[in-house]
Amino acid sequence: MAPARSEGFFAALAPRGKAVLFALTAIAICLLFAFPVFWLVLTSLRPGTGVYYVHRGTEFTIDNFHDVLTQEIVVRALFNSFMISTLATVLSLGVTATSGYMLSRFKGPIPNAWFSLIYIFRCVPYVAWVLPLYFVTQQLHIFDSYWGLLLPHIAVHICFFSWIMKGFFDGIDPSMEYAAMIDGCSRWGAFWRVAMPAAIPGLTALAILCWLYTWNEFLFALILTAHETPILTVVMAQFVHELGMEWHLMSATAVIALVPALIVTLFGQRYVIRGLRI
Amino acid sequence: MNEKTRFMLALITPAALVLVLFQVVPILTGANASFRDWTLHDPKRTWVGLANYIHVLRDQEFLEIVLPNTFGFMFASVALSLVLGLAIALMLNKHFPGRWLVQSFVLLPLMVAPVIAAIMIRWMFNDQFGVVNAALEGLGLAPISWLTQRWTTFFVILLTDVWLWTPWFALILLAGLQSLPPEPFEAARIDAASAWRTFRHITLPMLRPVMVVCIVIRSIDAFRTFDIVWTISGGGPARATELFSLYAYVESFQFLNLARGSAAAVIGAIIIVVFALLLYRILNRFVEVSK
Amino acid sequence: MAAVVLTNVHKVYGHVVAVTDINLDIKDREFVVLVGPSGCGKSTTLRMIAGLEEISGGTIAIGGRVVNHLQPKDRDIAMVFQNYALYQHMSVRDNLAFGLRNRRVPETEIAAAVGRAARILSIEPLLDRRPRQLSGGQQQRVALGRCIVRNPKVFLFDEPLSNLDAQLRAQMRLELKELRQRVPTTSIFVTHDQTEAMTLGDRIVVMKEGVVQQVGTPLELYRKPANRFVASFIGSPSMNFITVNVTAEADHFLLARPGLQFRLATARFPDLGSRVGRSVCVGIRPQHIRLGTPVNDKQIGFKGTVMVTEQLGDEQLLAVRLGDGEIRIASVDPDLTLSPGSQIEAAVAADNLHFFDDLKETQ
Repeated sequence: MAPARSEGFFAALAPRGKAVLFALTAIAICLLFAFPVFWLVLTSLRPGTGVYYVHRGTEFTIDNFHDVLTQEIVVRALFNSFMISTLATVLSLGVTATSGYMLSRFKGPIPNAWFSLIYIFRCVPYVAWVLPLYFVTQQLHIFDSYWGLLLPHIAVHICFFSWIMKGFFDGIDPSMEYAAMIDGCSRWGAFWRVAMPAAIPGLTALAILCWLYTWNEFLFALILTAHETPILTVVMAQFVHELGMEWHLMSATAVIALVPALIVTLFGQRYVIRGLRI
Repeated sequence: MNEKTRFMLALITPAALVLVLFQVVPILTGANASFRDWTLHDPKRTWVGLANYIHVLRDQEFLEIVLPNTFGFMFASVALSLVLGLAIALMLNKHFPGRWLVQSFVLLPLMVAPVIAAIMIRWMFNDQFGVVNAALEGLGLAPISWLTQRWTTFFVILLTDVWLWTPWFALILLAGLQSLPPEPFEAARIDAASAWRTFRHITLPMLRPVMVVCIVIRSIDAFRTFDIVWTISGGGPARATELFSLYAYVESFQFLNLARGSAAAVIGAIIIVVFALLLYRILNRFVEVSK
Repeated sequence: MAAVVLTNVHKVYGHVVAVTDINLDIKDREFVVLVGPSGCGKSTTLRMIAGLEEISGGTIAIGGRVVNHLQPKDRDIAMVFQNYALYQHMSVRDNLAFGLRNRRVPETEIAAAVGRAARILSIEPLLDRRPRQLSGGQQQRVALGRCIVRNPKVFLFDEPLSNLDAQLRAQMRLELKELRQRVPTTSIFVTHDQTEAMTLGDRIVVMKEGVVQQVGTPLELYRKPANRFVASFIGSPSMNFITVNVTAEADHFLLARPGLQFRLATARFPDLGSRVGRSVCVGIRPQHIRLGTPVNDKQIGFKGTVMVTEQLGDEQLLAVRLGDGEIRIASVDPDLTLSPGSQIEAAVAADNLHFFDDLKETQ
């Protein structure tokens, strides 16, 4: 058979032409994703008067950050967000690990029921239960407090992360646990001392994702906190809706909120990719 | 009850407890509230049957604006993010100098909170001082008042969502692409398949399982979007860009009618659960998805 | 004409040399097997011929035309992969037609070509099924069908039988030979299994660590291995190697080691002259050793102790202690009862001895 005929526009371009097109596309993508962040950072570095001509101004200052960090509510919100994210991650990992392990290692009516429960609740819009949570947390006297936020978050994490956990445990050979049980371990022992250590890469990846998710979460924080427990995302959104808003302070707050996320992502990226070998 | 069953239950007890208390109970409370006359300033809590539901389902606002908005947003956002994410994944699947740099940029939106993304993009589209209008003016075009009209506001919200979620699609699809065996592609090279034909007949069918899972997950989440709409437009102008979650929120905390808000939320919950189950069924029949 | 000629071909990955200076002259319609342990460069060489790997140096010519810079699709070749590489989401028919459709061949011609290939391989009833629904052997036949449907100049096979179980493998070997008779085409076949190489190839190329060790017909490789590696690789059970010291006597060479010694006439083994005073590695195939004493002066004899016997039904294999070493003897009468520890005498024709200077253990 004769060799193939030419196949269209892209093949017709000389290799150099193709490479240029590719490079341009790559650059365009980088710009599109980076631009909003870049613009935000730029805005946060402009003094109050210059913010209104961000693209034309030439003055830079870090006063905005200073002003924002001296506001009590921002500092408290920073602290609270950090604590909530970290505590929620630690607690959720424990609870979802056992849940995922159960789904992975066992078959039958109980795991099926649990799986269906989780799947359904994962789909239910938050609004449907966050509004009544407002009352439930008040009844339990945990409204506007750490536990009032942590426990609902953990509930969400269970639905989100159980099946990722299941995936991790599916990828770990159960023969090791059987060997451990023959060697005298209880089921708990096998889980705790054999399965969990093997799942550490996955757990690390999940911890990072969980932390980021909680740090960035908005709706629960909005409804379940008031003045006692300011949360960063809520504080920022509320700034936006004020009239006469000062965008330079707004952007500075946003940049500050981005920094921990940036650090965690940069530090954790390697672990996430390693742990989530999909 | 044997030892194995006891172990199974023990494993999920803490999770089940939290789930019950902080999801099941609230949902039931909400469902309960939706059948009663329950406003936050005057909680009579008398049983009114389906009155709240009927009110919501007859509400013009709900039928003509919220429902179309929500489904339209869901389809548009998922479709756009999927196509862009796939294109980016295909690009990143090749080795080229500076690939790690492009990859890092693409991952940027994943660590930005939706609220922050909304703030950034809202600022860019600010009608007096935003960079977009400045660019338009620079090109000799008239500046647009982005957040005062329905469709331009919608555009900004959609843009934000696509900015946020394209990288998620790209990352998962890239992982999918990288797990594909190389041999069918080598065979295709020998079989004189063009880039397009290879993509259409070989890459795409093999990626289908991953794509379908992504679409389902993302559709469900898109339906529930709250953060960015609230931050960008608050549902405005004049409630024209309200999505589902916002409608329920507004009814509960602005009109202070918890009952109606819960009814709206329950209706939304039913819609999305049915949708999700349908999608899951189609999934399982159409393509083999590992549970 | 579809000869394949490799001239000074070599391949490097960064600093690692995968293939060194290969020169091969494969004739039209010849079936050549590239064989060797994993990592020897056989697959790399095949992929360079296919165009799936860049050539670092040298030229490859197919049908008289240098193809170094041609894309795989323009080289007029077809390839069968180890795991079939069938297009899972197309029917068998579409799998076979894909290559032709890409080349914009008219549908009528495609139908004819597909039908012919399916008949030759007896896969007509499978044409509308998906690869997923086929057994391993059937999938392999479809992969073969993809090859013959386009009538290319060269067939390339990359360990196609390695994924099949032993029985199926033997059957597919026969089917491949039958296919050769019906569609004679220049073929290059890569395998790590020396049995496949011996049974399938017109000529065999033995490779190790990127270097060609020997090229020859199966019988040539069996009877006259060029070095110790080829000797140990070809033939099963593999050759025994015994290191002996060579000393010269009146008209004999004395080859000796603890527990074994024998003399060989200087006149008949002149090559040993250069090894006097040193050690040489003697190779003896297990199949050439016979139990009993030498029957004439063209045989040498030795004594040993039986360690282990393996009963195969039509023959026995013995592991015999010889001095401080061990050798294996094959083709032993299955009815002979030999208990471990019993003394035996064995003989081998001197002409069946091989001599190698490579004294080190091969991998």
